[in-house]
Amino acid sequence: MMLGVLLAVPLIGAVLLWRAAGRVATALHTLTAGFTLAAALAVGVRVNQGPPLVALDGFLRADALSGWMIALIGIVAALAASEAPRYLAQTPGGRFYPLFHLFVFTMLTAVSTDDVGLMWVAVEGTTLASVFLVNFERTRASLEASYKYLLLCSIGIAIAFLGTVLVYFAGIQQFGDEAHALRWTTLQRLAPGLAPRVMELAFVFLVVGYGTKAGLAPMHTWLPDAHSEAPAPVSALMSGVLLSVGVYAILRFKPAVDVAAGPRFAQNILLALGLLSIAVAAAFLWISANYKRMLAYSSVEHIGLVCLGLGVGGVLGTAGALLHIANHALAKSLAFLVSGRIRAAYGSTEIAAVGGLMRSQPRSGALFLAAILALVGLPPFGLFVSEVMILAACFSQGFPLVAGAALVLLVIAFAGLLRSGHAILYGTPPREPAMETHGWRSALPGAAALLLLLLTGLVWPPGLGDALNRIVAIVAP
Amino acid sequence: MTNAANLLAFLGLVVTLLIVWRQSWPARLRLFVAQSLLLAALASTIGVLAQRRGLLLVAAVVVVVKGWVIPRVLARIGAGAPVRPVAPGRSSGLALLGAGALVVAAYVIMLPVTAATELPTERAIPLTFAMALIGLLLCVTGRDALGHILGFLVFENGIFGLAILATYGLPGIVEAGVFLDVLVIVLIMEAVVVQVRREHDSIDVDHLRELRG
Repeated sequence: MMLGVLLAVPLIGAVLLWRAAGRVATALHTLTAGFTLAAALAVGVRVNQGPPLVALDGFLRADALSGWMIALIGIVAALAASEAPRYLAQTPGGRFYPLFHLFVFTMLTAVSTDDVGLMWVAVEGTTLASVFLVNFERTRASLEASYKYLLLCSIGIAIAFLGTVLVYFAGIQQFGDEAHALRWTTLQRLAPGLAPRVMELAFVFLVVGYGTKAGLAPMHTWLPDAHSEAPAPVSALMSGVLLSVGVYAILRFKPAVDVAAGPRFAQNILLALGLLSIAVAAAFLWISANYKRMLAYSSVEHIGLVCLGLGVGGVLGTAGALLHIANHALAKSLAFLVSGRIRAAYGSTEIAAVGGLMRSQPRSGALFLAAILALVGLPPFGLFVSEVMILAACFSQGFPLVAGAALVLLVIAFAGLLRSGHAILYGTPPREPAMETHGWRSALPGAAALLLLLLTGLVWPPGLGDALNRIVAIVAP
Repeated sequence: MTNAANLLAFLGLVVTLLIVWRQSWPARLRLFVAQSLLLAALASTIGVLAQRRGLLLVAAVVVVVKGWVIPRVLARIGAGAPVRPVAPGRSSGLALLGAGALVVAAYVIMLPVTAATELPTERAIPLTFAMALIGLLLCVTGRDALGHILGFLVFENGIFGLAILATYGLPGIVEAGVFLDVLVIVLIMEAVVVQVRREHDSIDVDHLRELRG
């Protein structure tokens, strides 16, 4: 019932918004986002404290891991939704609101089902719902970005389908016509008897396929284009949670592969792709001349870190990765939302065209500064804590070389991001921008995200540790 | 019946190689239709063989969606495009050689799968996987939007064939999702291509190279 409500809210909102216009649309949009947030938080807390929620004969199912993602999607969607009216005031256009909520709906569906087949359909749905949002401004650049996005992610998701088929094949080969052989719970139960070589092959396809959606190098090439050309609220959603939905899909298959084929196989793949992603991002953080692309490459870096954490595994690594997903979602969506305001003020997304943000836009500047400091992994923000957890897990699980390489690459990325951030905040702009017009209220959602980041960085709210432990028990038993 | 299934999969691969070989767009489109119809025949053969009624329905949907609706959309997208996008003098020999290598690779990659099963259809599994790989090759070497879409569709056909041969049909919701997905992708592609043509006066996606770094 609760799950049904959670999925129905954004879907009904999207349907109603299809015909709505003007102030009705804005009000309806705010209502939908608010209710989605409330339902997501309610489900998130409920499944973490109690048993999994099940609906439609187990078709929909949310355990603690789903709950973590659901709450995260709700929060980031609310954050992005709060910025959407300001964006649309500058760039009016067609069906932004309905597609926005449809996008949220597909992501929520992907993480609240027990059926890996339906999960696949929903992840594919995220691409289809967001491709028109990427091309919302219908410029040449956004057209190119959406074309690449659609083509590469469709190929990726088809490869993930192949992986899903092989997992199903392994299930029915070993156990005959097992009912619900595509259910995640069934897969967990059957895992010890699944053909190991087939599961390995399937996992390769799943990592390549869902890894394309997650933005793991070398499948990340669509990401900087799509994230930089999409409207700021959409970039926030894509970078904040869509990438993590891809990681979540890989994470769902990992326990079964670990049991069937031994833990080394998935571990090696995830560590290699994680390190490669951080390396690619570190290089491109130095050379990207566009601040939205810079933020996109920073996402590749952080998803790489998450992959490292999941790869080394253990309680510390997995918990660190999960926490990092949340921290990154908050910090990156905030950074992308502010990037939308910077673009509105300066009329450009080139770093060279922007400067002195702190002087001309003190409120946006302060938010951007905090987001950049959080993203480079400085205390007191949460990303510092989760990065330390992941690196400590690398050391304690016997991967000192991986940890060392990751540290060096992180320092390179740190310097690159900070250099560009400094130019944006304190540099001299080629021409003076308009002064900031929005009041302190516009900074409230961003401040709330920062507050959450401070909480995960300084004092863990009571229950956060237990919540993480419960999720780790699901994915790394 | 098993031989029939294997023969159909083999014919599917032959048609895929013909798509690589032919350069003219209308011929490739006809070959794609032929490939889709072969897959529909494959699905109904296995449906009879394994007594799965659902597969007959799947076969009917394949005929309608991939044999009729999608080719119509593709024809609409291609209307007005030059029949041969490739410059004259460029032979398809190299591409065919690559496709041949992919067939070998498909057999090697699918070894764990064929080793794990006693299915009568196991010998056809690498053939469909080779179709998928060649589709991927077509997609990445495609020089315009049509080439990309066609490559993607061949790729998808290959995976679909593999799914039928290896599992005798997936749960209904997944099958439905796959069809809807392919259809929507092609329709969105059409919308995108229409805009590309308006912006650049051609569907050559070589124009799309502004985003760098």
